[in-house]
Amino acid sequence: MSRRRHLIRYLTGRLALVPVMLWLIASLVFLLLRVAPGDPIDALLGTRAPQAARAALRHQLGLDQPLLVQYGHYLQDLLHGQLGNSLTNQEPVTSVIGRSLPASLELGLVALLIAAISGLAVGFSGVARPEGRLDLAARLYGIGTYALPPFWAAMVVQLVFAVWLGWLPVGGRFPATLEPPSGSGFYLLDSLLSGNSTQLLASLRHLLLPAGTLGLLLSGVFANALRLNLRRALDSDYVEAARSRGLSERRVVLGHALPNALLPVLTITGITVASLIGGALLIEVTYSWPGVAFRLQEAIGQRDYPVVQGIVVVVAALVVAVSVLVDLLVALLDPRIRF
Amino acid sequence: MQQRACGLGAAMLLQALLGCQPPKPIGQVVVASRGNLDSVDPVDITSFAGAQLLSAIGDPLYASDASGGLHPHLATALPILSADGLTARIPLRRGVRFHDGTPFNAAALVFSLERFRALGKQSYLLDDRITGMRVRGPYELELRLKRPYSSLAALLSSSNLTPVSPTAYRSHRRSSLRNRFVGTGPYRLVNSSPQNTTLEPFAGYWGPAARNRGIHLITLSNSTALYGALLSGEVDVLLSQGLDSDQQRALAARTDRGLLRQGIGPAVEIGYLTLLSDRAPLDQPDLRQAIALSLDRRLISERVSYGMRMPLRSLIPPPLTGALPPSWPGYNPQRARQLLQRAGYCQGRRLSLPLTVRSNVPSDRLFGLTWQAQLQRDLNDCLSLEISGVESTAAYRQLDKGVFPLILLDWAGDYPAPDVYLTPLLSCSRGIGERCLEGSSVSFGSFWTAPGLQQQLEKSEGLDGQARTRLLLEIQRRTARGGAYIPVWQVAPRAWTRPGLSTPQFDGSGRVLLQALSTHP
Repeated sequence: MSRRRHLIRYLTGRLALVPVMLWLIASLVFLLLRVAPGDPIDALLGTRAPQAARAALRHQLGLDQPLLVQYGHYLQDLLHGQLGNSLTNQEPVTSVIGRSLPASLELGLVALLIAAISGLAVGFSGVARPEGRLDLAARLYGIGTYALPPFWAAMVVQLVFAVWLGWLPVGGRFPATLEPPSGSGFYLLDSLLSGNSTQLLASLRHLLLPAGTLGLLLSGVFANALRLNLRRALDSDYVEAARSRGLSERRVVLGHALPNALLPVLTITGITVASLIGGALLIEVTYSWPGVAFRLQEAIGQRDYPVVQGIVVVVAALVVAVSVLVDLLVALLDPRIRF
Repeated sequence: MQQRACGLGAAMLLQALLGCQPPKPIGQVVVASRGNLDSVDPVDITSFAGAQLLSAIGDPLYASDASGGLHPHLATALPILSADGLTARIPLRRGVRFHDGTPFNAAALVFSLERFRALGKQSYLLDDRITGMRVRGPYELELRLKRPYSSLAALLSSSNLTPVSPTAYRSHRRSSLRNRFVGTGPYRLVNSSPQNTTLEPFAGYWGPAARNRGIHLITLSNSTALYGALLSGEVDVLLSQGLDSDQQRALAARTDRGLLRQGIGPAVEIGYLTLLSDRAPLDQPDLRQAIALSLDRRLISERVSYGMRMPLRSLIPPPLTGALPPSWPGYNPQRARQLLQRAGYCQGRRLSLPLTVRSNVPSDRLFGLTWQAQLQRDLNDCLSLEISGVESTAAYRQLDKGVFPLILLDWAGDYPAPDVYLTPLLSCSRGIGERCLEGSSVSFGSFWTAPGLQQQLEKSEGLDGQARTRLLLEIQRRTARGGAYIPVWQVAPRAWTRPGLSTPQFDGSGRVLLQALSTHP
């Protein structure tokens, strides 16, 4: 069978599992939310409302129906692409996600860019002299940034750069006194397209601290992965062969070892992207970044079942899509991979 | 060369980013608080942040002031009650217009109140008190009450009952309008998102014009960000909700040094302990009394909140009627020891009580730890606490199941009236002796009542003046003797402004008067 046919069969198999996986995730979230203590009425009204008013609101929100009926309605809506309405304000969940997902993606992509550039630069820096000072510093950097607790790191960065030095905003996505860019929901892109430099600078200022912190925390993974894989590649036979042919060390490293060392990094990038789609919870919460993770955390606190279910299902679908894409990309780039 | 150029470019970009703070429009004020705003419709709003917004864009019939007084606002006089106290006539102000130009009148008010009764998450505010309403004249409303209610004006000062334009809400008579608001308030809503709401002064406002050129209400998710935003000048006004005690103290210290201005509102929130009175061991009144006597409120207030949560020995926060003199006994460890000894403890036998605190409320845990240490100091051989944490929504869900022998909770009335503090905690529709079987007392986890207490509560709601004060104090003395609730502290809202702004002022419900924030103090 040809490689292409193998690939199509592999892809079909992966895609066929997606609906099953999503159904399992959706059902699990539905069940876990109902099993968890507390309910939306308590979250909405606290202890203040009389029993009759609580019962009326429970009925109004459809929470007095048997669990199986609620589950049936939920699955039926899901099959029709409907995620329901928020219990707190009746806003469609699709609109909640539509508003918050671009914020998370923008933060995630910029953070990934920062992580990749800084991480790969650090990982690459120690190659010339293994076990040298630079290599040791790169190792320490990799371990240190990976080990930093995100919440603590975010708080410290916020305290230093926003509160003490006052260089950048403490939180939020855009200044309160300016009109935010309209369009796709990606503020950088929208302000670039509209050519509004004030909006672009304001968006960048708000993005710099959360994306920088997240990028810094992720960069250690890239640094370590590249360092290890590059070392392994430099010790391999084909690099030895290249050297013996008299190629310069620069060509050996950049032309032969680096492309091979980057393949596992691509897989790591895929996993990182997938995890960032769901938002970096602690970063979003610390910087009041209105992304999906921030909204999810709020919705869990409010026991807003439809919002939690909707966000989890959409994020799970995106994560699955990204991981399939990355698998495919790696398979296409690496001829050694067999399906 | 190329590398140098790249480095120079990056440095210039960074310089532009760091040095390029967008200019703040002159006369506009940025106000920050915690807690998102999911909707601006009065029928949806249940949070403090929402009530704060409504107080700026809407107008209630009556306005409460920080000293507990009530004044006609959209009404022109206090409710005129019939002889039996079951019908109230409310004359309304003329010449008022909604933000969309629709004239305000009795028909518009009935439309708004009926809409709130049909859709409001807090519709019980009206449904508990009112059987019906009608337009008595173009500028006169008539309300029919279930039973005489002397706090009617206070109820009608609730921001959720602010009138909305019948024109704008015609197609939302049976559904909420979450991101648009058309009322009669001093500000007009320009736009609203969960994190940022913009208001501009309403040019056609009937009352005194706002003293600033607009408000931006922003929400930030954690107290460090809020604190930092005020210090760095990103925001002009900071509200204390959700701010840690340490930060509040630091802001108060800055106020003392003249770096900020601080305003303190009337206490609207009380913190209290609920004791499960119908099960052992706290079914013994002596033990409940001993616990009340063992509480060193002053020390706890100092340690938990640097004294900012003022000790409270009443279920009604001052300055409301019936709050003073305090009905609960003060700190008296000797008397507590005597009562514990009488109940068979202290002589080699120690009462170990499980205290539940809400794990997501930082001050609760601090309260638990401080009280535990204080008991170790004062009554180590008699009484000890085992602290456990439960997330608040989970705790509320289980209160009526009687699973918490001793739990710290808080309560904020929906409007400034004494009965909204007493009735929810004490009301009992069916009880035997001192055990409540059905009613609010069960929902609040105490299961306590007393013969005739319900009748006294209902009677107090219809009384006025000294007679009411006397009865409210009598109810509280009985409750204090019952010992199923122990008031701990009262929480007064605070707000800070940066230099160049006037000192924040509050209304009687603890909301900052945004229209009074002046940029030329």
